[in-house]
Amino acid sequence: MNNPYLPYPVRIAEITVNDDERNLRTFKFEFLNPGDEEKFSYLPGQFAELSVPGQGEIPIGIASSPTEKGYLLFTVNRTGHVSTFLHYMKPGDVMGIRGPLGHPYPFEKLKGKNLVIIAGGFAVTTLRAAGVWLLDPANRANYGKISFIYGARGPSLLLFLDDFKAWEKRDDIDVFLCSYKEAKGWDGLVGFLPEVVKKVCPPADNAAVFLCGAPVVIKFTQTVLLEAGFKNEDIFLSLENRMKCGLGICGRCNVGPEYVCKDGPVFSVAELSGLPREY
Amino acid sequence: MTEYIVKESNLTEFFQAVSQNRTLLSPVGQGEKCRLEPTTPDKIKLDFANTHLSPKASFFPQTERLLAFHKDKSLPNSNVYQDLGDKAQDCVLFGLRPCDAKGLTVANKVFQNDRFVDPYWKGKYEKALKIGLACLKPSPQCFCAAVGGSPFGEQGLDVLAYVKEGGLGLKTLTEAGEALIKSTKAESASLSNEIQKLEQEAYGLQKAEKDSYKVITERDLMEVYNDPHWPFTAENCLNCGVCTFFCPTCHCFDIQDEQSEKGGVRMRNWDTCMSSLFTLHASGHNPRPTKVERVRQRFMHKLKYIPIKQDGVFGCTGCGRCVVMCPVNIDIRDVAAKMCRPTQTAKV
Repeated sequence: MNNPYLPYPVRIAEITVNDDERNLRTFKFEFLNPGDEEKFSYLPGQFAELSVPGQGEIPIGIASSPTEKGYLLFTVNRTGHVSTFLHYMKPGDVMGIRGPLGHPYPFEKLKGKNLVIIAGGFAVTTLRAAGVWLLDPANRANYGKISFIYGARGPSLLLFLDDFKAWEKRDDIDVFLCSYKEAKGWDGLVGFLPEVVKKVCPPADNAAVFLCGAPVVIKFTQTVLLEAGFKNEDIFLSLENRMKCGLGICGRCNVGPEYVCKDGPVFSVAELSGLPREY
Repeated sequence: MTEYIVKESNLTEFFQAVSQNRTLLSPVGQGEKCRLEPTTPDKIKLDFANTHLSPKASFFPQTERLLAFHKDKSLPNSNVYQDLGDKAQDCVLFGLRPCDAKGLTVANKVFQNDRFVDPYWKGKYEKALKIGLACLKPSPQCFCAAVGGSPFGEQGLDVLAYVKEGGLGLKTLTEAGEALIKSTKAESASLSNEIQKLEQEAYGLQKAEKDSYKVITERDLMEVYNDPHWPFTAENCLNCGVCTFFCPTCHCFDIQDEQSEKGGVRMRNWDTCMSSLFTLHASGHNPRPTKVERVRQRFMHKLKYIPIKQDGVFGCTGCGRCVVMCPVNIDIRDVAAKMCRPTQTAKV
């Protein structure tokens, strides 16, 4: 029987330090066993447990898209015990990945719609994956206009900048990068993300939004979106809560009757409106 | 399915037959020492109220090793977690009270949910034949009737037994239960009238009114959640977690890694929603920061969230253990009564 607690063994292939403060690192993992990559079949928006032997597990959103073959990407903020240990690990080290867990963004349901993707700070990871997946030739034609609005505290904190720079040159996606503060060498948009969204957000007709970021960003952006005519059913958030099993069993990540791990982490604002704000 | 009787003089022989090639688990010891554990056919007790601890530990041990790894780089698979497997053996449980058997079915739907199957639970749960023992004399803390149960409840059981004059009455409920009893020398009988009569009598002995908390499942979730009584309800709570420890349906656990220089294990341990660490984010944010949210979570989970997910079945089975064990006398029956209707002020 398939054991959902058993991680797939992986090797750290590459570690990229993302920011000047050295708190964010992006890990590139390769599966040790041939065949595991096929079994680990996922879509953007899902997460996995990064499993460090002897230390524990942390649930992290998958930053790569399944259209990128041969590896998985995760960006980890150094915060707690496991993430700190992970930051000191080296390329070549062996650990585990357990997943994929949770539900992806509702791509199937949103076919034919315009998509507005809004990311604040390092919450960009699964949204970057969504961008890569949507721009894949196999998927792009199924969706209308795609806009990606991405803001961080400073330009150096904008992750995956190479991808976004490349997308800026394309005509099938509109990219808006913004920095909260003015910075040397930054000639892009400047301001608080919700304010920027107010300025550049495309019309709400036949459109859905994926929104991820710090709680304060979500709160104010949501207001901006509602004023712009978006409906609660069309705004999708990705929640996070403390998790252990990731399978809807260990009991700690619930928001009302829903488990963020098993039933989420992607919920529409409408789905959340009848539930306690325990996240 | 079918009904049988076992004469008092044949009881040991009967228990020998049902535990053929299986471990026999049954309540042993008295009072606070009454516990479910392996025993022999001649030591089966029929005169106990209920076990001190719920039977969940037989399927979901308080501490359980799940995976292990080694660090010896000269061997293959160093630093790769391996499944320790589930060493569950065939067993037969005799003497499960109907509330506890029902509690196991509630936990079973969590451990084997719509997306994932927990192999460690499944192995143990499905290798156990469950013979219940109906309650003829409920304890003062019993209220199974109020939460949709019955002293003769059949959920989660393969066979329901009850003590009758001169022996045991048996009603088989599943094919496995029928096969098990057929393999013994139990004599078939017609008991449905007697069972019905005894069940009504046992209902009458309970203080709880039948289905009196059902109205909670019909109320709006946020209305129950936002009722002003919660701070008052939680006021005395010490967040000690004894309620979750004894509860037959509390299934929450923590996963921890332990290691030495040679290797390590990943294990799970019972956890409790009464602890602030339970939900604390690494960032310091806590979605349930005070005991008010935590106490509310426990009662909402039992009486509102689980019914939403499990077709109206309560996550509380009315066993009354938390009522007896709570050091500050928080009584789930009082809380459930408050949850039945809107409260105007905090003090009720």
